[in-house]
Amino acid sequence: MAEYSVVGKPVERTDGRIKATGAAKYAADLIAPGMLYGKLLRSPLAHAKILNIDTRKAKALKGVKAIVTGKDFPGIPYGTRPDTRDQLPMPVTKVHHFGEGVVAVAAVDEDRAEEALDLIKVDYEELPVILTAEDAMAPGAPLVNELSKSNIAYFSDFLFGDIEKGFKEADYIREETFSSQRVTVGFIEPHACLAEVDPTGRVLLQGSKQSPYITWRHMCRALDIPVSKMRIVNPFVGGGFSGKHDPFDIDFATVKLAQMTGRPVKTVLNYDEVLAAYRQRNAMNAKLKMGLKKNGQITALRTECVLEGGPIAGIGPFNIYYFGAFQNVPYKIPAIEYHGKLTYSNRAPCGTVRGQEIVLAQYCLDSMLSIVAEDLGVDQVDIRYMNAVTSNWHAANGLIIDVSGLPECIEKCGKRIGWKESRTSRPKGRGIGYSCASHPSGVRLGGHFGSSVMLKLLEDGNVVVTHGGTEIGQGSNTIFCQMTAEVLGIPFESVIQGVSDSDTTIFDSGMFGDRCTYWNGNATIAAAKDLKRQLAEIAGAELKVNPEELEFKNSMIFHKERADVKMDFLTAVRRAYYEKGSPLYGRGYWAATDIDIVDWKTGRGNLAHGLDFIATGVMVDVDRETGRVTLIKGISADDAGQPIHPVMLDGQVNGGSAHMTGHALLEDCLYDEKGRVLNHTWRDYKQPTALDTPEYIVEHVHTHDPYGPFGAKGAGEASSCSSLAAIANGIYDAVGVRIKDLPITPEKILAALKKKEGK
Amino acid sequence: MFIRRLPKFEHHAPASVAGALGLLKKYGNKARVFAGGTDLLLAMKKRALTPEHLINVKNIKALKGISYNDKKGLKIGALVTCAELEESPLIKEKAPALWDAVCVMASPQVRTLATIGGNLCSAVPSADTAPPLIAMGAQAVLSGPKGERTVLVEKLFKGPAESKVARNEILTHIQIPKQPERSCAAYLKLMRRAAMDLALVGVAAYVCLDKDNRTCKEVRIALGAVAPTPIRAPMAEQTLAGNEITEALAEQAGKVAGTVCSPITDLRASLGYRCDMVEVLTKRAVIEACSRVKNSTKR
Amino acid sequence: MRKVEITLRVNGEEYDLEIEPHRTLVEVLRETLGFTGTKKSCNEGECGACTVIMDGKPVASCLVLALDAHGKEILTIEGLAQGENLHPLQVAFVRQGGIQCGFCTPGMIMSAKALLEKNPKPTAMDVRKAISGNLCRCTGYQQIVDAVITAAQEIAK
Repeated sequence: MAEYSVVGKPVERTDGRIKATGAAKYAADLIAPGMLYGKLLRSPLAHAKILNIDTRKAKALKGVKAIVTGKDFPGIPYGTRPDTRDQLPMPVTKVHHFGEGVVAVAAVDEDRAEEALDLIKVDYEELPVILTAEDAMAPGAPLVNELSKSNIAYFSDFLFGDIEKGFKEADYIREETFSSQRVTVGFIEPHACLAEVDPTGRVLLQGSKQSPYITWRHMCRALDIPVSKMRIVNPFVGGGFSGKHDPFDIDFATVKLAQMTGRPVKTVLNYDEVLAAYRQRNAMNAKLKMGLKKNGQITALRTECVLEGGPIAGIGPFNIYYFGAFQNVPYKIPAIEYHGKLTYSNRAPCGTVRGQEIVLAQYCLDSMLSIVAEDLGVDQVDIRYMNAVTSNWHAANGLIIDVSGLPECIEKCGKRIGWKESRTSRPKGRGIGYSCASHPSGVRLGGHFGSSVMLKLLEDGNVVVTHGGTEIGQGSNTIFCQMTAEVLGIPFESVIQGVSDSDTTIFDSGMFGDRCTYWNGNATIAAAKDLKRQLAEIAGAELKVNPEELEFKNSMIFHKERADVKMDFLTAVRRAYYEKGSPLYGRGYWAATDIDIVDWKTGRGNLAHGLDFIATGVMVDVDRETGRVTLIKGISADDAGQPIHPVMLDGQVNGGSAHMTGHALLEDCLYDEKGRVLNHTWRDYKQPTALDTPEYIVEHVHTHDPYGPFGAKGAGEASSCSSLAAIANGIYDAVGVRIKDLPITPEKILAALKKKEGK
Repeated sequence: MFIRRLPKFEHHAPASVAGALGLLKKYGNKARVFAGGTDLLLAMKKRALTPEHLINVKNIKALKGISYNDKKGLKIGALVTCAELEESPLIKEKAPALWDAVCVMASPQVRTLATIGGNLCSAVPSADTAPPLIAMGAQAVLSGPKGERTVLVEKLFKGPAESKVARNEILTHIQIPKQPERSCAAYLKLMRRAAMDLALVGVAAYVCLDKDNRTCKEVRIALGAVAPTPIRAPMAEQTLAGNEITEALAEQAGKVAGTVCSPITDLRASLGYRCDMVEVLTKRAVIEACSRVKNSTKR
Repeated sequence: MRKVEITLRVNGEEYDLEIEPHRTLVEVLRETLGFTGTKKSCNEGECGACTVIMDGKPVASCLVLALDAHGKEILTIEGLAQGENLHPLQVAFVRQGGIQCGFCTPGMIMSAKALLEKNPKPTAMDVRKAISGNLCRCTGYQQIVDAVITAAQEIAK
């Protein structure tokens, strides 16, 4: 394995000091001279015609400067895919979910803006609400989305391998159903943005955005302005987890209010608004049928999945696709049949959450595996080891797994959590749950999926990195600085992270799906090599050697065979600036063009490089009298290729594990029969605290991915994917009851225990 | 529908109980007593309450402090915060059940603000300080236009979020009688989350054992979050009184307690689960209280 | 509404202010004084993002009326470092992965600071209890707990 000077080292993260001192400015912290404050009036109903909006009294209130409704926008729909453009900036004819922003106000201060909301009168005519996938697909069901002809927003049907043969060869077949609730995304920073419009009409939007490129494109389309008329600059972002990709009513309204008033407008949501009306994870109902040999080897899998996703398709098509496509890993399954549907509903719009719908797919798959392992009398760890994907594996859907450390992950995790020992003795009520997962390092979802990095070499020898990925906490800024320093042979401290700004940052499709390290990382290497080539030419000319024979290390440029033929890195920089008057820029882009763009019809193809793997073991205690679950310990052994920053990698793994603890046990977005959200405050919506999460330990299995930057793979989302089943399996191991509808509440456990004990 | 900034109000900060009572008389229903504020300010942000006048009692020294007197027992000023109770060695020693309660309330940054008086006056069914105070036979001392009156904490509540403290009265302090020898109380709280959560069920049990250290001489069981107000469970107490407390008997008392509560099904738990949990927690609280007595007499 | 005059002592500096009674401490810190390090998210005392230290104790500054902070010592995240020297808690949070998106960080560090003031040698469970009112979605808390314990050891040296 290669020895690196900066890569793989726990350097100080570039934003660490800034965040630790409170100096980091998030969108809500921004101030512009003459700024107004925006507020949104939200729908109290989940589905209703908008008959009339009377804003006269509000307009007359002193200090109110502008009021916006859906009618103020050009009426151009936008959406994730060309065939799913089903969203408008704000509602025009009807509201689609509780809390949807209907009217926005800009006033001189926040109190005044809030006061104005009380003076606005909206007349609605209630419509029947669609709350579940079943409601949505019922014959004669009212249409949720007026821009779509059906309540089915998207569907995926795939067939990989010979399914009939697979089931024929099986010694044992079992069918099970699983379901999962609506959960919120759960970042701590509520949505916020500041919009300014200059006298030429150019818009500057600074918002809490995870994938500014997506926001930028959608907004310009729906506002009917060319992309050059809008500039997006990202301040610090307080977490994303896929909840901040696309533009929301708040972004559109704030820009429109700024356009109308000619003054900067800032809108900051309170968190209860986020919980009520913004992105959640799809509710899921799935049915799995698995065939196996007596020894536990899987021969076939048939899966049906229905996702209920709120009134927009959003990135739902990707979710329903992911659910099916990623049944092909982390286990070797020769034949898979998949039927997936995404339906509309009048609940809050869904995006996705950390780990995307692989989280749900893996929950079903690994729960199923535990069930059948017990039926067949095969050890839980053995059945996973036996079926685990290995290196150079060609999955049934055409996915090629170059390097898999999964078998080693399974072994390491089992040892560390004491699986074998626990089989002979463990305290009453204690159990260990096991699960694996795999996540791609960024799927190639479309032709515009690419990543770019720009390096600017300053005359003092320091480099500024700008990239189109976004720092949302995961540490991308730091690792791209590490990679740049590694390639250029300069200290980490000589590389500075620049802001994410659509004027200077180049194109990037976004920050999601474990793609950032991998795609932007490769782009960073390309950019650094571009810069290196330019410096080598300067140094080569002066040193009279072939530039290609020069190496960069310890801030020196030297001949790879004759160490005395050398030049200071800084000298080469100065030659460029002071003698040639030439600035130095490195430009790099990367897209996995050697693999296939997702085939939405068949789901087939080699769609992603760098599958990262994880094996998770969770130790739980269950109180048989109260049904309460206490997590004791969580072990994850992960294969993220070459770790770029081991401490941040741990953080990604731990974060995903804890996040899904909430999904498994605590969190649930509740709606009443009219679609009104019942628990949209953090008092009633239970995200896990430090006392709800166990001690976490991460073990790394180092592998080297042939296509990844320095051999790295993506990381962070796999632990989300393995955690739900691990917890469910652990509870079963502890008290012998299996709850197949998430969340696993104490009440459900207790009821199941009573039933089992015949009470 | 959504949380907002605070509505406007007039602020008053009297320096004495008399001053506060005067303001209450003057502004009547337009005024609210403002102590820790953790319930009141939130209700105002939600516009559930919009008092025109807040009577901030935090400057009134008479409402502060914890003291112990061998005759009268513990006196806790209404303004004493949950954090002060948590950090008080006196509370931990003399009223461990109350200490149990304050340690699992809300979060540290809310406990710094929330007061015991506020917790009682807000009168939510899940108020954590109520069951231990009821179990210990504590009294609330109220000041009003006609002078002081004393009410058992057990009798302080009228309904959900409604106490018997009149609008022209203020709660000045809590008096916990000196606890007899060989007695102790314990409070157990069941939450959905392990912290920052309201009680699904809260049970406090007080037991006083006979000289044999086994027979139950006196017992009080108080339940929280399972009825419109915190309640006693007299039938469950009768199961235990005069008998030797064994695990089986404690379990039986739990079963009886489960039948006297009248919880609701809400977002947090169902009626059935709450009743079941009253059984479990009552049993455990009784056993814990007994074992505390036994441990203390061993010393 | 009648405004009130108050003196706030924030991070050792005195500020004479005239404020409306309904201003919360978090609003005055962020909007009037520009201490935006203190974050606001839920505005109901359920997330811990707005935690500051008032007279040595952690408080949810969204549930404190600014006028009640009159004359009290307020410490915010901005007052922790001495010039360029970070507080050991800040150093440990940075080094050990206690920070990701950073939005919960100021409140989290203030809760940890309040803990170390009264308990200089906390166990992992002590730390978890002390930060149980601070929600974090990024880290899974483990590295925050580790960082607080490291900082405590560093301070004890």
